[in-house]
Amino acid sequence: MNINNNQLWVKVIKKVRAWARLNSIWAVHFNSGSCNGCDIEILATLTPRYDVERFGIKLEGSPRHADILIVTGPVTRQARERLLRTYEQMPEPKFVVSVGSCSVSGGVFHGCYNVGGSVDEVIPVDVFIPGCPPRPEAIIDGIIQLLTHLKDGNPRPARKEQIIERGVA
Amino acid sequence: MNIEQNLQKAEQILAPWNKETTHPELNRLDASLAAENLRPAVTALHAARWGYLSAITGLDLGAESGQMEALYHFCSGPAITTLRVRLPRTGEATLPTIEDIIPPATFFERELHEMLGFKIAGAKSNDRLFISDDWPEDVYPLREDFNIEQATPVEGRHADETPEVGMVGENKFVIPIGPQHPALKEPGHFEFTVDGEVVTGARMRLGYAHRGIEKAAESRNWIQNLYLFERICGICSHTHAYAYSLGVEKLAQVEVPARAQAIRELVAGLERIHSHLLWLGVTAHEAGFDTLFMYSWRDRETVMNLLEQLTGNRVNYSANLLGGVKADVGPEQAKAIKEGLNFLETRIRHYLEVVTTDTMFLNRTRGIGTISYEEAEEFGLLGPTARASGLLRDVRVEAPYGAYHQFPISGVTETNGDLEARCVVRLKELLVSCFALRTILDNLPEGPLTVRMPRKVPAGETVSRVEAPRGELFYYIKSNGGEHPARVHIRTPSLCNWVSVLEKAVGRQLADVPMLIAGMDPCFSCNDRLVTTVGRTGERQTWSWKQLRQHGIEYYKR
Repeated sequence: MNINNNQLWVKVIKKVRAWARLNSIWAVHFNSGSCNGCDIEILATLTPRYDVERFGIKLEGSPRHADILIVTGPVTRQARERLLRTYEQMPEPKFVVSVGSCSVSGGVFHGCYNVGGSVDEVIPVDVFIPGCPPRPEAIIDGIIQLLTHLKDGNPRPARKEQIIERGVA
Repeated sequence: MNIEQNLQKAEQILAPWNKETTHPELNRLDASLAAENLRPAVTALHAARWGYLSAITGLDLGAESGQMEALYHFCSGPAITTLRVRLPRTGEATLPTIEDIIPPATFFERELHEMLGFKIAGAKSNDRLFISDDWPEDVYPLREDFNIEQATPVEGRHADETPEVGMVGENKFVIPIGPQHPALKEPGHFEFTVDGEVVTGARMRLGYAHRGIEKAAESRNWIQNLYLFERICGICSHTHAYAYSLGVEKLAQVEVPARAQAIRELVAGLERIHSHLLWLGVTAHEAGFDTLFMYSWRDRETVMNLLEQLTGNRVNYSANLLGGVKADVGPEQAKAIKEGLNFLETRIRHYLEVVTTDTMFLNRTRGIGTISYEEAEEFGLLGPTARASGLLRDVRVEAPYGAYHQFPISGVTETNGDLEARCVVRLKELLVSCFALRTILDNLPEGPLTVRMPRKVPAGETVSRVEAPRGELFYYIKSNGGEHPARVHIRTPSLCNWVSVLEKAVGRQLADVPMLIAGMDPCFSCNDRLVTTVGRTGERQTWSWKQLRQHGIEYYKR
């Protein structure tokens, strides 16, 4: 069937999907060799003080049901394949949030023999949240930035290379 | 028995095999042995119930000497006996296994083999535990001449190979759990063999979070390492930095001011509260008791605030410096901490009541995973997991360090050894901690916060042990007199406690596995996808961790 993007019903369905997605983001958490610091802060954002569930964000166990992949830690050699597999299992559209300095650049573990480096060397990342570990507020801010981009109709936030090209980071 | 008598006793026990004895420090005894005498010596120490095997450190003494050394550290109270075995670096450096005498030695021996290339004669398992599956054979990361080019992935092998899944023999099935956990923490991988619902065997694979910190430490200077070690574990980061600074200060013969020591204990106490409340929440979650999970994590934020007020950070506090601490406690902070402690104490008492009276929670904890005193001793358990079985393994009590001389802690033990006892021990420990923290705040010694540390640390080696929230944390530090450590070996408590899960899961229902894993408070948790059979038909069904957890909850509703 030929779908014309300008047809009204296509537009309406797109809007409804975007609306639904923005209000019920399901996230899967993957630890690719982190020290637990970021992981407990992610968990803290789910618990009553920070409570990201008010944005409709829910931590989901299975990557097959998730919209966002939250990755923490430098990518270790053993976890690399598993990270790829988890990413591949997620349905489109999928977004990746990399939490913590290690997952952004390797952090203190940069150059260790079992560490590959940053997460974006393995899978495309949409939002980077630096910090060791980032505060729960920073994690919420990162996710909200992602949601804002989606709301504005942008398919994805700017990638790391683009940010570097622009000379911002 | 005092330290000297205790060490003399060890010397007498080891006399028949001992080649050379030295006393590098007041509380340490080093005995050199030949490799063939290792087993009788370990058997004798074990039979005389002299302490417990705390860690096995491997050293590469370099190409010049052409030797490697394995150090078997036995700890009994503050006394440490080290059996040193030297072997040639090239060719077959073979050590006899001692895992049949001391079960937890399995993991230490695997580490020796994978990191330094000691061959372990007679070891039951040769599976990889730490390094990745695509790592080439005969390349050992902790050897002095290791470089990263040697470690190019082996053709035809994958990191994270798909585990063996399926029927093994009649009515037996292997279930892989891991390494991705939906809720939190570090990845690990387990394979449970089941017959229907009953677990008949368990195997474990670590290494998903193996980063190579011990090697990295050798190329960073003493101060950089302080921050590197804090990031070994985000939950007990202070205890890592604490143990490391204690060791380095011992080597440099620097006396830390009393105020700094007290503040270190203060931060350690607050960290214990945050860690145990975190654990309580996670355990409650695994039991299907999410209300308790949310409440305990809400209250945990109080401690996080206090830690942040004190040090400026919520998680990796960086309170320690070599030679002192960074953060001072002012009168306002002392007041805030006391108020926080008052609130927490009432909450902890409430949780103590919940875990001992709530019928649903008791169904999941009482009488499950019971470990007797003898078993706890045999498995070499540490920390609250051991104390729940009546075995008082607590470095703060047995071998006080730092400010624990001035502000002693009373050890908490329970006798039942089941999951309920482990909950109770941890919560009672928090009450003790609250009491100790108040005493420290009331009697905080005056004085400076730091003393000057030399940039180069004199040559020597030392052992420092600190009680982390999960048990004894062991650091072996060796210096060549330079700006970098020559070797740092770290043994974390979780490594010793795994035995409790692997041994205790066998014979239990599959539904108990999540609770058993949570019960020892692993410093990494796991899973993702489970495959299991329903009944004995051999029909496959894929389960997620969530479903398994749900299954556990449903199972106990009946």
